[in-house]
Amino acid sequence: MKNLEELKQIRERVRRNLDMRSGDFGVKIIVCLGTCGIAAGARQTMNKLADLSAQSGRSDIVISTTGCAGFCEQEPMIKVQEKDKEPVTYGHVDVAAAEEIFNQHVLKGNIVEKYLFSKGE
Amino acid sequence: MRTIADHLFDILENSVNAHANKIMVTFSFCKNLFLCRVIDNGIATSLENITDPFVTSRKTRKVGLGLPLLKATTEGTGGYLKMSKLGKRAGTSLEFVVNMTHIDARPFGDISVVFTDVLRSWPGIDFEIIVLKSKEEKKILDTIELKELLDVNILQDIEILNFVKEQLRKELLKIGINQQFGVS
Repeated sequence: MKNLEELKQIRERVRRNLDMRSGDFGVKIIVCLGTCGIAAGARQTMNKLADLSAQSGRSDIVISTTGCAGFCEQEPMIKVQEKDKEPVTYGHVDVAAAEEIFNQHVLKGNIVEKYLFSKGE
Repeated sequence: MRTIADHLFDILENSVNAHANKIMVTFSFCKNLFLCRVIDNGIATSLENITDPFVTSRKTRKVGLGLPLLKATTEGTGGYLKMSKLGKRAGTSLEFVVNMTHIDARPFGDISVVFTDVLRSWPGIDFEIIVLKSKEEKKILDTIELKELLDVNILQDIEILNFVKEQLRKELLKIGINQQFGVS
C-alpha cells in the first residue's frame, strides 16, 4: 500500500470528481469484450478509449463493456451511443480506429463511415 | 489470444457471468512455471466436458471458446488447466500452469491492466489478489479494504484505477512477472 497521506489526497480528488458528475451521460461507448473481442485486441481498444476520455476532461463520457454480439469476424466492435440519438456500431476498431472515432464521433458528433457497421439497435 | 493477460481477462469474465461478486486470484511464478488460481463465489456450472468448444452454459449460441483456448495454451507448453466445483453455492475454482520458457508459451502481457479493465467494466466486483513467493502468501490488493480506505462505493475513477495498476505492476514485478517476459 502507498502511504496513507497519498491515499487521502486521492480520496479528496475523487470526491470532487464525483460531485461534478451528475450521473447523467452524454456519450456512452460500449466495447464488446467476449472471447472473440479479447482475441482480436478489444482490450487495447478499450484502454485507448479510456485514456482518450480521461485526456479530454469530459466527465459525461461513459465507457462500459458487453459480451459477444454475434459478429465475431467484425471484432473488435464498439457501439457509440449519444444521448437521445440512435446508437452507432463500428467494426474492426483497432487502436488507431478508436482514436479516430473518439475524435470525430464522440467529441464532434460526426459518424466515421470508414468503420461503420450498423446504425440503430 | 495474444497474451496470458487476455486469457485471464476472459476467465474473469466467466466468473462475472456466473454472478460472482468476489474473486480471489493467486499468482505464483517459480522456476519459470507460472501458476494462476482463480476462485469465485459465482453459481458453479456443470464442469462436464467444459473444455469442449461445443459445450457452453450460455443460451444464445452453441459454442464457447474461452476455456478450450486456455486449455490449448496451457497444455501446449506442458502445463495444465484444472477446474473444480466448490459446492452448490460456493462457486468455482480454476487453476492453470504455463511453462513460460516453452517455445510455444504466450508472453504475459500486462496482467495489472487486466484488473483495472475488470474494475472499469464491472465496478461491483471485489478482488483479493495474492502472490505466493517461497511458500509465503502476500496480499497485494484487496478492493474491499481499498474502498473502505478511500470511502467510496465503486472503484471506477481513473485516478484510483491508475493507483491500483501501478501498485499491482510493482508487486508482480517483484516475483518476476514482467510484461515483456516471453516476447522474442
